Order: sequence, then structure tokens, then C-alpha cells
Amino acid sequence: METLANSCSACSRRTLLKAGALAAIPLILPSTLHAFQLQQPMTANGGDEPFPIPWLDKNGSHNQPAGSNLEPSHIYHFSGRIARSSTFTGMGTDGKGNRIAFGSPTTDYGVMLGEYWAARSAQHGTFAHI
Amino acid sequence: MPEDGLSVSQDKNTVTLEMKDVAVVDQPKWPALDSIATPARMNFKMVWRSNGEPLKYEDADKHFRFTGTRATCQLEAEVKVPSTGFWWKSDPLETSKCDFAIVGDEVNGRYYDSSAHKGIS
Repeated sequence: METLANSCSACSRRTLLKAGALAAIPLILPSTLHAFQLQQPMTANGGDEPFPIPWLDKNGSHNQPAGSNLEPSHIYHFSGRIARSSTFTGMGTDGKGNRIAFGSPTTDYGVMLGEYWAARSAQHGTFAHI
Repeated sequence: MPEDGLSVSQDKNTVTLEMKDVAVVDQPKWPALDSIATPARMNFKMVWRSNGEPLKYEDADKHFRFTGTRATCQLEAEVKVPSTGFWWKSDPLETSKCDFAIVGDEVNGRYYDSSAHKGIS
């Protein structure tokens, strides 16, 4: 009984503190509600930009030259049409009439057209690597 | 990129990528770390044409499958660097060539996994 009485005394102090804190809520609430009304709905699903391919990140460029048995896409979770090419060679002329070649073994290009997965849903896009 | 920059023929065998006035950088000393990059503009047209030779790349460990054909690819381009007055224009499309090109369909990541579960190959 004594324990209970002591406990009651402590409890009532806590209850008072809680009650005091709760009593402040009506004063805070109107401004908080206003802030909630202004805030746009938010999700935590990430952006809708495509994912890079995890194992192509070694040099930070998220791609590799097109080649036999190599992953052609630059983006992960992708399904669609793709075209790749590499080792270009060609010629051109600059404004002073100089003939300048273009292309090298690492001159590679690609396009990807289709569906990819990001922000927890299917997205559609067209991407080029030039 | 805007979707109207890319066209795929009805039989899916020809893919044409054509863009005008694309913002790029002119970086003559690339890939040197101290290579200066200057804003430039570029027009280009690139055409992939399937040659019909079938091709399939698949790596279950890397979760991808490409099914398509070998192709030819040709390019013509024009670059201008307004700040320096430099410009360069390639010879016509038909004069360029590349040693490796492919056109096809690919699934990777979750799309590869789901097609594998359905037994699609």
C-alpha cells in the first residue's frame, strides 16, 4: 500500500508534466496544421532517372565500349530497343580547310528506347550516348 | 533526349539518330585531366542498318540478354565552337564506317529476371 501511495505521488507529478505538455498542443497545432497544408505530398521512392549498370561504375562513366558479348545497355532494369557501335573512322574538314580524321577504338555510340524501372514504377524514355 | 530525334523503321532494322544544335563541349586534349572544355554546338546524324546476321549475348550472372543482329553504322556530324570560331564538318555519311555495330532488343535487371522466370529466351 505504501509503495502504491509513493508510486501514486510520482505518477501524479509525471501526469502533471504530461498534462502540461499536452496543454501546449492546442497552441502549437494551428500553425503546424497550416504548415502541413502548404507542404506538397512527398514520396521516398527516389527519382525517375534510370539506374546505371552496377559493374560498369569502375571508371565512373557508367558505360563500356560496344563489343562482342558485352552488355550493350548503359542503364539497368531496362527492356527495349537498342543500337550500339564502336571503332568509328571517318574524315572531315575544319574552317581553315584542314583535313581532320575522326574516330578511334573508343569512339562508341548508342541509343536505348524502351521501358526502364525507377521510382518504383515503369518509366519510358529514349537515351543516347554520343 | 527528345523522342523525335530517334526513328526506328517499321521492320526495326534501321535506326536513325539525328539531332540538331546539341550543346556539347570541345575538349581537344581529352582524356588529359587538365583538358580545357569549351562550350560547343553539334549537329549529327547516325544510321544503324541491320545486316541480318543473328546475334545473342546473354550473361545470367550479370542479368542481361541481347537478341538482335549485327549491323553497319555510319555517321555525319558538324561541330562549331563559337568562342574560338572553330568549326569542323565531316564528309558525307556514306564515307564513314565502323568495325562493330549491333541492333536488337535487350532485357536486363528486373526485366531479365522476370523473363527468365517465365521461361522466355
